[in-house]
Amino acid sequence: MKSTDSTAPSTDLLAVSDSVLATVDLVVRYGAVVALHGVSIHVAKGEMVALIGPNGAGKSTLLNTLSGINRPASGRILRNGKLAHVPEGRQVFPDLTVDDNICLGAYRGGSRDTAPMYELFPQLQRLRKRRAGSLSGGEQQMVAICRALMANPDVIAVDELSQGLAPLVVSDIARHLVELNKQNGTAVLLVEQNAQLALNITSRAYVIENGYIGLEGRSSDLLRNPAVRAAYLGGIR
Amino acid sequence: MTAFVEYLLTGVARGLVFALLAMGFVLIYRVTRVVNFAQGAFAIFGGLIAYSLLNAGVPHGVSEVLAILAAALIGLVFGIIAIGGDVPLLASLVITIGLSILSEAIAMLVWGTIPITFSGLAGHDFVIFGAFIQRQYLIVLIVSLVVFVALLYGFGRTYFGKAMSACASNPYAARLSGINVKKMGLIAFTLGGALGGLGGVLVTPLSPITYSGDVSLSITGFAAAIVGGLTSPGLAVVGGLVFGIAEQFVAGYWSPSNETAVALALLIVLLLWQAKRAPVGSLE
Amino acid sequence: MRASRKIPIYAIVAAGVITLALPLFLSSTNTEIYVTIGLYTIVVAGLSLLMGFAGQVSLGQAAFYGVGSYTAAILALHGWSPLAALIVAPIATAFLAFLVGLPLLRLKGHALAFGTLAVQLIFLAVIPETASLTGGSIGLSAIPSLRIGPLAMSSGRDYAYLVWIVVVVTLVIARNITRSRPGRGLRAMAASVSGASATGVEVERYKLKDFTLSAAFAGIAGGIYVFFIGYVSPDAFPVVLSIEFVIMVVVGGIGTVSGAFVGAALITVVSQLLTSLGTSPSLPPQLPTVLSLGVYAVILIVILRLLPSGLVGAFSRLWKKAQAASSPVSDFAGDENVAVVSAVGKEEPNEVTLVDEV
Repeated sequence: MKSTDSTAPSTDLLAVSDSVLATVDLVVRYGAVVALHGVSIHVAKGEMVALIGPNGAGKSTLLNTLSGINRPASGRILRNGKLAHVPEGRQVFPDLTVDDNICLGAYRGGSRDTAPMYELFPQLQRLRKRRAGSLSGGEQQMVAICRALMANPDVIAVDELSQGLAPLVVSDIARHLVELNKQNGTAVLLVEQNAQLALNITSRAYVIENGYIGLEGRSSDLLRNPAVRAAYLGGIR
Repeated sequence: MTAFVEYLLTGVARGLVFALLAMGFVLIYRVTRVVNFAQGAFAIFGGLIAYSLLNAGVPHGVSEVLAILAAALIGLVFGIIAIGGDVPLLASLVITIGLSILSEAIAMLVWGTIPITFSGLAGHDFVIFGAFIQRQYLIVLIVSLVVFVALLYGFGRTYFGKAMSACASNPYAARLSGINVKKMGLIAFTLGGALGGLGGVLVTPLSPITYSGDVSLSITGFAAAIVGGLTSPGLAVVGGLVFGIAEQFVAGYWSPSNETAVALALLIVLLLWQAKRAPVGSLE
Repeated sequence: MRASRKIPIYAIVAAGVITLALPLFLSSTNTEIYVTIGLYTIVVAGLSLLMGFAGQVSLGQAAFYGVGSYTAAILALHGWSPLAALIVAPIATAFLAFLVGLPLLRLKGHALAFGTLAVQLIFLAVIPETASLTGGSIGLSAIPSLRIGPLAMSSGRDYAYLVWIVVVVTLVIARNITRSRPGRGLRAMAASVSGASATGVEVERYKLKDFTLSAAFAGIAGGIYVFFIGYVSPDAFPVVLSIEFVIMVVVGGIGTVSGAFVGAALITVVSQLLTSLGTSPSLPPQLPTVLSLGVYAVILIVILRLLPSGLVGAFSRLWKKAQAASSPVSDFAGDENVAVVSAVGKEEPNEVTLVDEV
């Protein structure tokens, strides 16, 4: 599903300089296997961008590389602000309380006051002192997001928000993300298998397959794109 | 009655030493998930080094502190060897086994095989309920309690302590939050070394140590840590006291040679108890 | 799953032929070493499985070896046919392991390591206390020789051949087990730090099976040992032997089948060297112990840090490089959890080098 020549950087310098986050020709390898082949994406300030694609396409790899967990083999990562990564599968600290979990998000610096988080997600207020491991999936997802937000990021990358969660819960959390984006101007990079959801709430999207960026464009356009519909939207939900 | 009180008090004193070792286990496990087989070796080194320093004329108090610092340094070195770089969990465990053996070899080489002891800080001894209480017991009591309170507070209440716990809880997420998991692990090993060293320094005036004493100290310390599920320092202290006291009573009323065997039997019983409490498959 | 061999088949056949022919040429002392290596290979194969698959360490294999010996000895001395006694030995050890392992393996961390050390120490403490049955510290002697049907095993060479057969059988069993483990999930069990656990119950059942099996291996080796030597005493099963077994596993390669032989052979040779070195009269009396402890510790630590997959693992990597590997290095999809690597080292991040082939 390649629309443009993906070997040339598809982002022009103007777009990159306006971005809060960008990669240029990122190549990531695991041993002899290439996981990302020259991936170039960018997220502008205050934008909501989706990254959709099937399992194993390289989505989590990309996020891990952006967070510094993986080291790229070549290519560049440009960061014009702080990035917070909400990992796949929630990844709370199960033995610590919700409040401690969220508070640790400020480890790198900044205010350790967790009050604003409970304004954003009031449902968590009564769970403050509970062991994070005992929460439901949706609640843990909220905790993970709050933890990431404590770092006061300019862009928050959420990996597989919908995984293992009921649709109602997912749309509730998604709504919160949109609210966050509108109120604070925090950019959101939404990495998702659930293309419908991702394309609905974002303004721009990339499609990644087998480590290549196959398609990119406005989310509304991609929603109507027949190839996208066939692969990711038709018959799945 | 006198014997009873003596056993009780000796048991408490030794129990507190076990508790210190147990704390070391818990600390290292909480942060790195490694069961540190060399924990007892820290104690032995602490005691032996203090002995050498005292013999060399270094005054009381200073010797002990230096010995504890040395043990902390040894802890750091062991930590680097065991977890530095990218070492999987199983390998780390076996490396600590190797380190405990290496410690025995070094201890034997430097200090020989004869049991070693030294007298504690000078001062009065006491008589309570007709039982003769060495001043050392009091020192053990006070020092350990101070350390325990400090640790319990440190782990439970401080931001840094919570960050340390987060490392074992979920190392990936900890890393994403900016916590340097590896550094925390090394800090844990260093503190574990200090705790072990402190235990050794406190116990050597009470009962002589040898190069091979680390094994029974490790086993008992570990058993005490298991009482706290390897993660609760508070319960580990309880465990230490239980084992310390039990050990004395068994030795006193039964037969001295059964000391080790009983500690071991207790270990097994405890583990059985722990297994019943815990739901299947939840612990990893 | 990769089909590439770790060790070329002609090497295996050659090793088999050489070891089979060897007893014809060995003096009686060397035959004893031969038999020892063979017996230890059996024990180590079991332990290697435990460490490689269940990711657990047992510090009590010498005790299981000893329980096997004592079971066989006691039964044989009480009128059982030696062969029957030999068969009961591994069953008894397996049962003991089952009892011990059932609670211990449920616990978090590597509690099994301490638990088995406790078993080892209790074993050593119990023997002197049960002198009427076990002969106490002095041990039991005048144990009848093994008789398999019409064949009476009287010479060292007979036992050497018996051991050879049992080693081959054991290694084949071990190999089949390594291959039969379904999927990466269970193999990864040993590897993961953050817990790539399969379902909890499955994982535990396999751990218990591995542990019991490793004890059974040790048990039968112990049984053969006692018939070979003709007497048994607790001095033959010290704690340091349990540690030697672990070192053998590590040196050979955790989870590898051929590594069991490599490790057993090498460390036995090292141990012989250390004994002869340490007991020359000019040296101080504590030196032998210091020497062995120190050398073992250093070997263990160095191998784990530098050659984590043991000698077999290192050899197989060289072999693969020499073959100009055409086989795909992995069927690894980019997004899979990169933490699933070999249990002992991260040489190439995506290669599950553990427990694959002989």
